[in-house]
Amino acid sequence: MIAENTQTQMRKGILEYCVLLIISRGEIYASDIIAELKAAKLLVVEGTLYPLLTRLKNNGLLSYNWVESTSGPPRKYYTLTAEGTAMLGQLDVTWLELSFAIAQSKNQTNP
Amino acid sequence: MKRTLNINIGNSIIHIEEDACELLTSYLVEVKQHFGKSADDFEIVADIENRIAEMFTEILNTQQKQVIELEDVQVVTGLMGSVKDFEEQDEEPETVNGHAQHQQFAERRIYRDRDEAMVAGVCSGLSHYLKIDVSILRVVAVLSVFLGGSGLIAYLILWVSIPKASTRAEKMAMKGEAINLQGFKRNFEEELLVLKGNLKNAGDHLEPLVTRSGSFIAEFFEVLGTFLQGTGKVIFKFIAIMIVIVGSLLLLSAFITIAAILGIWDANANQLFPFNIIDASYFTTVAFAVFIVIVIPILALVLFSVQVAFNTRPLNKMIAFGMLVVWIGGVSVGIFYAAKISAEFKEEAEFTQAVPLKPYPVYTLTLDKSKFFTKEDSLKYQLNSKDYNGRIIINDHDKPFKLPRNVYIKIERSENNAVSLTESYRSEGKTFEIALNNAKNMHYDFTQQDSVLKFSPEIYLKKNANWRNQRIELLLKIPVGMKINIDKELDRLMRDNSLWDCDEDGQYNEMYKGIMTSDGLQCQNKQ
Repeated sequence: MIAENTQTQMRKGILEYCVLLIISRGEIYASDIIAELKAAKLLVVEGTLYPLLTRLKNNGLLSYNWVESTSGPPRKYYTLTAEGTAMLGQLDVTWLELSFAIAQSKNQTNP
Repeated sequence: MKRTLNINIGNSIIHIEEDACELLTSYLVEVKQHFGKSADDFEIVADIENRIAEMFTEILNTQQKQVIELEDVQVVTGLMGSVKDFEEQDEEPETVNGHAQHQQFAERRIYRDRDEAMVAGVCSGLSHYLKIDVSILRVVAVLSVFLGGSGLIAYLILWVSIPKASTRAEKMAMKGEAINLQGFKRNFEEELLVLKGNLKNAGDHLEPLVTRSGSFIAEFFEVLGTFLQGTGKVIFKFIAIMIVIVGSLLLLSAFITIAAILGIWDANANQLFPFNIIDASYFTTVAFAVFIVIVIPILALVLFSVQVAFNTRPLNKMIAFGMLVVWIGGVSVGIFYAAKISAEFKEEAEFTQAVPLKPYPVYTLTLDKSKFFTKEDSLKYQLNSKDYNGRIIINDHDKPFKLPRNVYIKIERSENNAVSLTESYRSEGKTFEIALNNAKNMHYDFTQQDSVLKFSPEIYLKKNANWRNQRIELLLKIPVGMKINIDKELDRLMRDNSLWDCDEDGQYNEMYKGIMTSDGLQCQNKQ
């Protein structure tokens, strides 16, 4: 129970980073992002994604355009903006720092 | 077989079974509520609906069916995730907000609360800041005013120095509410509730919109106005109730009077002065006119006071207008008859006759209040001369309806050394003939008994005669050197030559002693 809380906290932070990474590869829409995350074993429901995407878009990190589709309603295809790319770079650095911190804490032995 | 519905979701039209639709609807409602808190709710929900529609279309295609069933909705909502599963990124800032809320709660500032003010909001504001009940503070304030008036000065100082809470943020700070979005929302909703309650009670004093004035003086007058509306109202209501009581009594007495006058109770009312000024033929009309002129304003005032005191509906406009019309009618009739009656006094006539006097060396002039009856009066009063042997009836009361003074006595020097008494009857009337008639139609009693001249104090009008300022002047001429004694009571009927100050200080005589000289009647002891 307590572990779940911490796990959720850890996952929350990572999710945004992963989403940005996935979008950085190229134009993609929500449903495919879910598929990618599933493939990466980062389980999350679609419902979580939409508010996240909207927030990122409102913060100017993402932009989208509508693409008509034959099988249903038009879809939003998301791409990173310049700010989004910059932020991704910062998150890359943060990630490296964090993994170093974790590696350090793991490998060192207590005196 | 089942019923199907058509829904429009994500800009597509989907056939869906009834029970499936119910499930879908409840899910979407949940989602909407969940995202309703954030600012982007519309966009997020639209995205989700779009995705759901897409999934439905896929299902319809792959399963080659035409209608979405219950299981399909379950699958789709499972994929989308239940509301609980939505991992919100916004939760973090909220806890920070909660913390800030906690902190801001402690930050309470002192303002004057004009919304819940009795006078200027000083006590209300203080009660918010000190967390003391406002009524206690008000009682303290009022009491302190009585203790040498210092409380009043303190109150005025506080009024000038403490700012009033005008903006919503200030009002929230005054009450110690957190200044964030939730707080604003709550504050606004509270205000709406109060407003609704006030509108329901249909209070009739609207908050003056000139609350923006910054200057103290303007605010003072505004408060005065509100005070007059509020506390002053109670005073006015009290006055109004007093008016209702007094006015009703006046109306009641007016009704009784008019009944009396019109002869319902007293058949002889129109014999009394001042009623006998008015000719009997139009007496009733005039009485009614006067009644209307007096009663309607009182009635209107009473009705209005009732409305003020007891908050009843205002007087029906038709009734009020009708009353006004009737009143104007009464006034017009009254004026018409006033003019007519004054015309009755246009002409004056005089009629004199000489009264034989027996000469005596000294005359004593007295006032004789006894009444002498004519034959018909004796019959009326059932006085039989057989039973009553020479009794004289003294009519000595000061009635309220007594005629005004109408007997004048003059004493002058006689030219020919003889005594004489002349009676001059005077009266007014519409024409000379009528005036003369009126003059002849009065009755005055004068008798001489040895050396005593008895004068009656008043004249009697013939029955049913109208008062037309009938009066009598008695001219007594006596030669120079003759002494007369004058009864004190008679002295007030004397015209021109009153012996009023003939009494020396300390002396009290029953009669004034006078003597005729070449210069007129003088006091005997002041020659």
